[in-house]
This record gives sequence, structure tokens and C-alpha cells, in this order.
Amino acid sequence: MFRTIKPSAASADRARLSGGETLEQLVRAEEGLVSRRIFTDPEIYRIEQEKIFERAWFFIGHESEIPNPGDLVTRPCGVDPVVLVRDDEGVIRVFLNSCRHRGMRVCRTDKDNARFLRCPYHGWAYRTDGSLVSVPAESHYGPGELEKEKLGLIPVAQLGIYHGLIFATWNEHAPPLKEWLGDMAWYLDIIVNRTGGIEIVGTPQIWDVDCSWKFAVDNFTDNVHVFSAHQSLVQLGMLPNDPDFACHGNMITTGNGHILHFVKGAPGEAAFLYLGLPKEMWPLFDKNLKPAQKEIAAAHGISAGTVWPNFHWLQLVTSGEMNGHPHAYLNFRLELPLGPTRTRMYSWLAIDKAASAEYRKISYETYVRTFGPGGIFDQDDMENWEDCTIANVGPAAKRHTLHHTMGVNRKTDPNWPGPGRAYSDSYGEMTQRAWYAEWRRMMTAADGAGK
Amino acid sequence: MSGADHLPGSPLHNEVTHFLYVEAKLLDNSRYSDWFSLFTEDVRYWMPVRTTRFLAAGKGFDEDMALIDDNYISLKTRAKRLESDSAWAESPPSRTRHFITNVMVKDGAAGEIAVSSCFMVTRTRSDRDYQFFTGVREDSLRCIEGGLRIARRKILIDQTVITNTNLSILF
Repeated sequence: MFRTIKPSAASADRARLSGGETLEQLVRAEEGLVSRRIFTDPEIYRIEQEKIFERAWFFIGHESEIPNPGDLVTRPCGVDPVVLVRDDEGVIRVFLNSCRHRGMRVCRTDKDNARFLRCPYHGWAYRTDGSLVSVPAESHYGPGELEKEKLGLIPVAQLGIYHGLIFATWNEHAPPLKEWLGDMAWYLDIIVNRTGGIEIVGTPQIWDVDCSWKFAVDNFTDNVHVFSAHQSLVQLGMLPNDPDFACHGNMITTGNGHILHFVKGAPGEAAFLYLGLPKEMWPLFDKNLKPAQKEIAAAHGISAGTVWPNFHWLQLVTSGEMNGHPHAYLNFRLELPLGPTRTRMYSWLAIDKAASAEYRKISYETYVRTFGPGGIFDQDDMENWEDCTIANVGPAAKRHTLHHTMGVNRKTDPNWPGPGRAYSDSYGEMTQRAWYAEWRRMMTAADGAGK
Repeated sequence: MSGADHLPGSPLHNEVTHFLYVEAKLLDNSRYSDWFSLFTEDVRYWMPVRTTRFLAAGKGFDEDMALIDDNYISLKTRAKRLESDSAWAESPPSRTRHFITNVMVKDGAAGEIAVSSCFMVTRTRSDRDYQFFTGVREDSLRCIEGGLRIARRKILIDQTVITNTNLSILF
């Protein structure tokens, strides 16, 4: 199914890094031993650009962000800037945000509605389907000097949409999105289609953190950090004063590096059923989900997942304030590496389309108060990612590994009703190990399909 | 709202400016409970997300999404958290300096005072370099029992991408 492309000489698979080590030696994922070097080393970061950010599928945005023809937002696809636009015919398209002439960005705002994308530099103008329509001073080109039909905006190699989530890749040899997602799609159904669909609220929060993008990823399915990293919220009574409180669930790996978990609340706690959604929405779960999907959703309050490499959801049930009641929200996240030790974070709030105005308000408030750069949960995570990064740039630190061994010998749970490999006890580092194993596989794979 | 202006040097302008300086000093001295006592119980303390837009589309503030959106209890939670010993983003604490300028005072609706002020907040943390946060605060102040209280604060930050790690400090 996949054509094999020749690796470039500079990045032959299993290449030795300076110092003579290989990526296989640095990432012993199955043992839970990952070298600190992979987080901060500029040499490894450069390899990531080619092996991961030119090859993987990336989340770009959600259909609801561009509902009308001409609506556009600017985003990253991997590490390249793109325009996500709905064209005049209503077709969703993703282009490199760069004029074919001198390469200037053709969209310089975060969002807009436009009939044409006009480059300010020399005035080249493109339709929303990417085709080049006008070039000023065109008559000064001689015959054959300007082939406008060949100079449309550069499209992504593949674009895929799953329940409104728009993904794209620069890799023409990548498997189609559905195949890339594999069993993860079954779990995405639970998160984004349980009540018939979700929509994005407003624009994403965007902020920069002086950290390796991989520390932010590592944190996302980590339940064990909550009690210590968010200790201030335990002290304020917003989290249970029980170091084991987030262990009542399952960690799941679905293949291709995709990872997730589902966590239950205290027994009999209604706020932790049906992913924390209000009771009046529960019948919609039966309508939209398969029985096993519904069974999982009904029994859990919290879920976090990573679509490899850098798109995440967080379905959380929490209070946004002292002595408050727990409420649910659904958060999407994306990391854009700006360098080996600097990362741009994107964070969206998603709401079930079927939700009441009352639920929308409380879900929004709870999200903003707890997550994003101003959120009283999230801001402590950023401190941790920065300190993890600072401490691991030096040559002495890079000779040592980090430690991801929790549950390294744990057996899979045969009673889990969903696909993938599930491990009961949601305290465990099997999700991170699976993510690093996939990172190593893609970083050392010879061809564009990641084989 | 275009009530009467209270010019610099007028008694109300002097009182409001002094109030904002005192407030800034409380923040820079980590006196978060005292700072919180300056807010009314119906407060909205709010920093909308800003986006880069063309001039004709306005200033780019998104009324549907915020970086901070607190009521009285959640603001109290934020202040109390900063006084705990485990809010790691600020423990050990950053050093902040709140520079408040361009104070403009008008009569607001319902007997309130409409105040706008520019801020530049510097943060230096651990051994790291300075971070800068700038913007405008639009406040509604209320006179309660002889003292001023903040009933509404809309913080219009100048950045569309917050390039400074997080917003674990107060504005």
C-alpha cells in the first residue's frame, strides 16, 4: 500500500549521533529508560523536523471554527505555518501560509473571512481554493515566464476529517487518516461524538513555554503527577486529599503511539459518570455510541488521550473554585515546537453541540479557571516542564536516563471492553512508554510511511 | 459610558490613583489576602483572549474565550493559592513590579467610577530574565463604607500569544 521513499544520506536510519550513540540506545522505551538527551539536544531536534514533523498527521482545527465560505484561521501543521480555510464551495482546505512568489505569509491575522488571499508584498492573489488568480504587472512576464495554473498555494499532502476534527500531513506516503488513527478512532468517538458532535468555543489560548515539547506531551496522560504537582489544589479542597485518588481507571495504548486513559471518581459519585455530562444528555450516549463505548463513557469521569504525536484531549471533571461543585469540560491541546527548549501551546475548549446554555457557561468557567496559562491547575505544570528542561541541557545530565518504569511488568486487563491494550490501575507509565517507542520508531524509520 | 471626567489633580483622580498604587504595592509585596479584600462580592475579574486581526475587525478581543475569568470565589481561590506553599508556579515566588500609568477617571453608571489605567508588569523568576506584561485595565470602582472597591476589572492584554510561560501572577 505504501511506496517506499529513499532516505536522504544525512538522515539514514539508525544513524549514529555525535558521540556515537544511536536513538535505539537512547530510548529503551520497553524498560522505561529514556535518555534525557532526547529532550534538549539540538541535533535530535533537527532530526525530529524531518522524521516527525514532515511525516506525521497533525491536528489543524475543527470544522466549527470555519463555518462559512471564506472563513479562515492560521495554524501550524507540524512546524510549518498553514491557512485552514473553507473555500467558496464549502470545501475545507489547508495550505502552506506562504506566497509562491517570495514566500511571504499570505494570511497575517489569526482569523478572517476573505474572498481572496492577497500577498501584500507584490500583490499575488489566490482564491480560497488556493488557485492563483491575479499577478500585478503580469503583462511584463514574457510568454511562458509565468504559469499561473502551476503556482497555486502549496496544499498539504493529505487532509482528513474525523467527526469534525481536521488533521493534515505533509507526507504523501503517510497512511490515510483513518488507518493512522486505527483503534484510537474508536475512543475518539466517545470523546467527540457521544452526544452527536462537539464545537469549539471562541479562539484558542496560545502561549509559549521554555520547555521541550516532549515534556508537555509526557505530562498529558500522567495521572500520578496530579497529587504532587497540583498539591495547592489539594490544600484548597479542590482535589481529594488521597494520593491514590486518580488511580481508579485504565491506561490504554492503541498502537501507532496513540495513548489514553479513563479514570473513575469515588464510588457513587454522580459527577464522575458519563464523563461528567449533565443527566439530560445521557440518553444521547445510547443513540450515538456502540454499547461498549457507552459502557466505558458511563462508568468514567475523566479521560485524557494523545493522538500521536502532539494532539491531546482532556475530558475533566473538577471544580473551578474552592468549595465548588465539580463540572465537566473538554479541552483540546497541541504543542508546536519552536526550538528544542521552547514550545508554543494551543488550547481549545470544546462543547457538545447538544449542551444547554447553562452547561456551556459552567463548562467554560471551569475550563478557564483551571486550564490554559491562567488556569490554576495548568500553570504549575508549565513550571515543571520548564524546570525539567533547564536541568537537562548540560552534558552531565544527558548521560543519564529518566525513569518511566511504573507498571513495566503489568499484565493487560482482559475485561476491558474496548480495543487496544488496556491496563487496570490508572497509575502507570505504560502510555508514555508507548509514546516514546513510537517516537523511536518514527525517528529511525527509513521511509515516509514510517516503516 | 461617557460620564464626566475627573482630571489629574482633582480629589477623585487623586484618590483613585492612590488606590491603584496601594493595590499594586500589595501585589508586589505578596499580600494576596489584603489585595483580595479590595474586590466586591459581585466582581468579574477578566482577561479575554486577544487575536491578531485587521483594523476593520476591531481590537481582536474574543468575548467568548478568556485567559482568566474569575468571580469572587474563584478570585479568592487564586489569591489563597498564591499564599499556599505548593503553588509551584509561584513557589518560590516570582518578583513582580506593577507599574500603573495613564490613569483616567470618569463617572460611571449607577454611581460607579469608570477607571482606565495602563500597566506594565515585570516578572523575574528564579535565575531567569525579565518577562514583561503590558496592557490596559478597565475598572469599575465602587465607594463602599468610605473606601474604594473594585467591582469589575477587564484586563486587555497587549499580547495575542502569551510569550511568558503562564499567567500565574495577578494584574
